[in-house]
Amino acid sequence: MYNTKVRGVLVEGNKSYADITRDIIEPIESKVPDWWKYAFIISIGALLFGVWASYITISEGIGTWGLNNSVAWGWGIINFVWWIGIGHAGTAFSIFLLIVRQKWRTSINRAAEAMTVFAVLCAGLFPLIHMGRIWMAFYIMPYPNTRGPIWVNFNSPLFWDVVAISTYLMASAVFWYVGMIPDFATIRDKTASKIRKAIYGFLSFGWVGSARGWLRFEALAMILGGLTAPLVISVHSIVAMDFATSVMPGWHTTVFPPYFVIGAIFSGFSMVLTLMIIIRTVYKYQSYVTDSHINAIAKILVFISLIMGTAYSTEIFIAWYSGSEYEYYTFFNNRISGDYTIAFYGMIICNAIIPQLFWFKKIRKSIILVFIISLFVNLGMWFERYVIVVTSLSKDYLPSNWSTYTPTVVEIGVYVGTLGLFICGVLLFLKFIPMIAIHEVKGILKPTSNGRYHKK
Amino acid sequence: MVGTIKNNNIFGVFDDEDVFLSAMRSMEETGIRIKNVFTPYPIPEVFRIMGLKTRMPYAAFIYATIGVILTYAFLYWTSVIDYPVIIGGKPTNTLSFVIILFVMTINIGIVMSLVTFFIIQKLGPGKSARIVHKGITDDKYVIVIEKTKEMSKEDSQRINYTLFEYGAIEVGEKEHVENI
Repeated sequence: MYNTKVRGVLVEGNKSYADITRDIIEPIESKVPDWWKYAFIISIGALLFGVWASYITISEGIGTWGLNNSVAWGWGIINFVWWIGIGHAGTAFSIFLLIVRQKWRTSINRAAEAMTVFAVLCAGLFPLIHMGRIWMAFYIMPYPNTRGPIWVNFNSPLFWDVVAISTYLMASAVFWYVGMIPDFATIRDKTASKIRKAIYGFLSFGWVGSARGWLRFEALAMILGGLTAPLVISVHSIVAMDFATSVMPGWHTTVFPPYFVIGAIFSGFSMVLTLMIIIRTVYKYQSYVTDSHINAIAKILVFISLIMGTAYSTEIFIAWYSGSEYEYYTFFNNRISGDYTIAFYGMIICNAIIPQLFWFKKIRKSIILVFIISLFVNLGMWFERYVIVVTSLSKDYLPSNWSTYTPTVVEIGVYVGTLGLFICGVLLFLKFIPMIAIHEVKGILKPTSNGRYHKK
Repeated sequence: MVGTIKNNNIFGVFDDEDVFLSAMRSMEETGIRIKNVFTPYPIPEVFRIMGLKTRMPYAAFIYATIGVILTYAFLYWTSVIDYPVIIGGKPTNTLSFVIILFVMTINIGIVMSLVTFFIIQKLGPGKSARIVHKGITDDKYVIVIEKTKEMSKEDSQRINYTLFEYGAIEVGEKEHVENI
């Protein structure tokens, strides 16, 4: 059994290799449970609500949203940033821990990567819908055209977003899929059903697990990991620059890119925690996603939470120290006090204060409390984006421009729709894809598999 | 067919990693040439015994370099040569290109590395797998030795015997085994 000094046994319960295969492909082989069906119906319902809302938005226009001349960005951009943040789970988890060779990632990375792909898909919908004339979305792509020939503005953060997010979606989907190829081969060889054999056989690309294949596979994983890791940093830095390159009070700060990246990793990790607790409880995967895994993620969260707290304090301090009355007004009269205090204090409490409970071992050991705290962090990160977007826009330099913002049912519908899409995707993932990387977990079962064999 | 030979191959199936690795080591020492091995998960020791190395990281570096050059050429052509737009007197060949350069380098590096992997490993959607033994993606380790024309019957019997001696639970012969 692979037993590290720091983390202890990574896979509990004295599992054999055949046990691992059986345990992980069992949900694929068996019928779907009732809760899965109900959850799927609910998620489809939410998705249809979203389809309706998107239809209204596209057919009638952005006027159906609660936006106005001052608050020109509302829930659309809030949810876009929120989803992108959650979409950092897979990369933060899987890729950063891969390149620093943390073996405990193996039982969680697959689910984290799945979340990334679905979350980035959800995020990508918002800018598209927000364009208003979605049928002209292709204008954003730089291609030789008949309009001048004028090119897109390569110096605009909004265009950087297009490049970065589409690359990020492609990279995370590729990383996810390549990692699944050997597992699809396992299902192909194990399943009794002919249909499944044909489908997974097709998806497994003819993988047989030869020595050269594994060597190149591992090299490719490191290459993809190494290339995607800096991409994580750049994607959310660019999202931050959507705000930071403007001249709005509360946005025009140099702390934004690192603050957004850390925030994204924070929300990504908390979403991983939420999802892994559900998966391990429902599918009885406590031997793979052990208490030690939960403990490790909780420890990371408490650390990131401190960074978040520091970022919030830095912003407030600079607003006062800079002597800029507009910055001061935004932070002290429109966030700490004023119309949007609920969102502001919600953000501080959920992100900077509640996760501090993870300092206590007793709380880290209680799965229910960890689960609840992870939900608070998800909520807190949504509040953070709300605070950033709405407070700065609602009261800018000209008091005659000031206005308040409340979302309409159409905006809420689009958001609920993406939640439905995400849950629907996750449910399909749980049913059709091995939710733990089979070959990777097998690779950490024995110390010999980790290159420590007869090493003199 | 690509990647296979018409000759028969002898294979030995092992169900324990340690036994399998020591069998591999002993066979290399006795001079029996291992054609290929199949394992359910990557084992670095196997790569060491077989002396396998990959040049993929170097290829990835070259791809990324190509990516940065292509992207810069594109940006320069569009923004400086084809349709320069003067924005507040700022230079058309600007430092802010660095962000798109950064992302596109990664983009092109990833796509080309992926394509390379599929080409050299001869993998593709729908390719039918030539499986030596059903357990290779579950919990079995397989060593394959090529039966060459020069090999006499005694030679191949000796290999069969050796495989059993080293702890194989099953030994057999098979046509068409992947050699990549």
